Amino acid sequence: MLPSPAVFHFLWEINTHLVEDGASVRTFGRLTSYLPEESKAILTSHHASMQHQVSVQTTFVEPFDPIVGAQYVTLGEIDKAEGCSEAILRARVLNCVDGVDVALLQKAINEQRNFFKERDNEAGAQ
Amino acid sequence: MASEQSGAEDEPPSLLWGLDPVFSAYARLYIKDILQIRESRQVPGIYFYKNHPLFQVDVLGTVVYKREREDFYCYGVDDSTGVINCLCWKDEKWRDQGDSVKGKGHGGVFNVEEQLRKLCEAQRSRCMLEIGDLLQVRGSLKTSREQREIMASSFYKVSDPVMDVQIARMLDMPQLYRDCYNKPFQVPCAELEAGTTDAGGASNIQSMLGQSVRILKEFLKVKEVPKFRPYDEATSVGPSFPTQVKNLLKETLKLLQREGEIFRKVLSPDELYHVTEQDKDLLAAIRDVIQEDSKREKYAEKGCHILHVLSSVRQRYSRNLSREALEVALKFLECNSDIISTTDSHYTVL
Repeated sequence: MLPSPAVFHFLWEINTHLVEDGASVRTFGRLTSYLPEESKAILTSHHASMQHQVSVQTTFVEPFDPIVGAQYVTLGEIDKAEGCSEAILRARVLNCVDGVDVALLQKAINEQRNFFKERDNEAGAQ
Repeated sequence: MASEQSGAEDEPPSLLWGLDPVFSAYARLYIKDILQIRESRQVPGIYFYKNHPLFQVDVLGTVVYKREREDFYCYGVDDSTGVINCLCWKDEKWRDQGDSVKGKGHGGVFNVEEQLRKLCEAQRSRCMLEIGDLLQVRGSLKTSREQREIMASSFYKVSDPVMDVQIARMLDMPQLYRDCYNKPFQVPCAELEAGTTDAGGASNIQSMLGQSVRILKEFLKVKEVPKFRPYDEATSVGPSFPTQVKNLLKETLKLLQREGEIFRKVLSPDELYHVTEQDKDLLAAIRDVIQEDSKREKYAEKGCHILHVLSSVRQRYSRNLSREALEVALKFLECNSDIISTTDSHYTVL
């Protein structure tokens, strides 16, 4: 009945093996395009001097006021259809968070990850 | 999780749960942990994170599920580690707002009804959430039909346009776990057994001092001892008195002096203590002062003030008499109906 928890992932991780097909994720990026007739938005992010992006299916979160160039955070399921190089995120939540401190958000996510990794290591060692 | 299989022997006794600060707090745990922690075998409805007993939690997360009933909302909250249902009761006040259209808008004049209506609206909007909103919930943890849920005692929509609140929480939680939740709950008897750590040592001394004061007080009362020297008592304790016992006796005597139960009439090398309630001469001196002075016009109506009695008795009997000792003596005399108090600090005789 309740959906799975949406774990934080960075945009550049979505198209890698770190994120499985069907996984519930939460991610953020800059809105670079929005096609209302296709219900498709693109979020992009820069990392290690490369640009990464993900396609977001916005059917469930429409109508929304698209601010191109603003930071958005989204939550939903990843669809990695066979044959498609790019994953699609079927958004259940899409919120504008323009003004967010991206570096601090990244730090916070890593902080949380390190904590869980530490904890799992301790539990494993016992 | 191996810890979940451990039995009640791992749980501290329920009598001591109140000593753990986590027990009285709304614990800020990850929802993942809230869903996994085990229920107590001693008391159902109480849960354990490691060996901390708790039943109240505080969560902050995105609403990913919503169900509305007549009396309550059921919000599914996702904090990225887990999802949990929160039962949020609707406030009767704004449940049937309907059409209380009393808006006789008086232009710029402050209209109380209008403001009240706006307040109710604001309250209601903070409690009615949609999927995607950020929700803060504090409430008690329950297990219903094998599902964990939170029965909210307070909940509201958090305005977080630049994710400050969520980021702060993500940064704080690991530290909170390290400083608090992951540190075991130190049960007092475990501390005592552990030996003389600083904290354990201090509480040991306190309890021993309390005991020795009680023992000495009773001894003096039962044996009707009017005066004594410490070493008389010490020898009754034992022939060889190590430093610890000597120190304990010293502290005990200091405390009893401070309370006024004993006093030294004359400050001299001879350490002689008088027991206040047994010192017939002192009691007689106090009674005489009050009796004589109450006859004087100055003190006839209200009686003698305690400070006046103190200075007179000091002149008459002992310069070192403390106010505390006088108060103990006055109380004793009053209990025997030798004197009566007319106010908190005035005494007279009939």
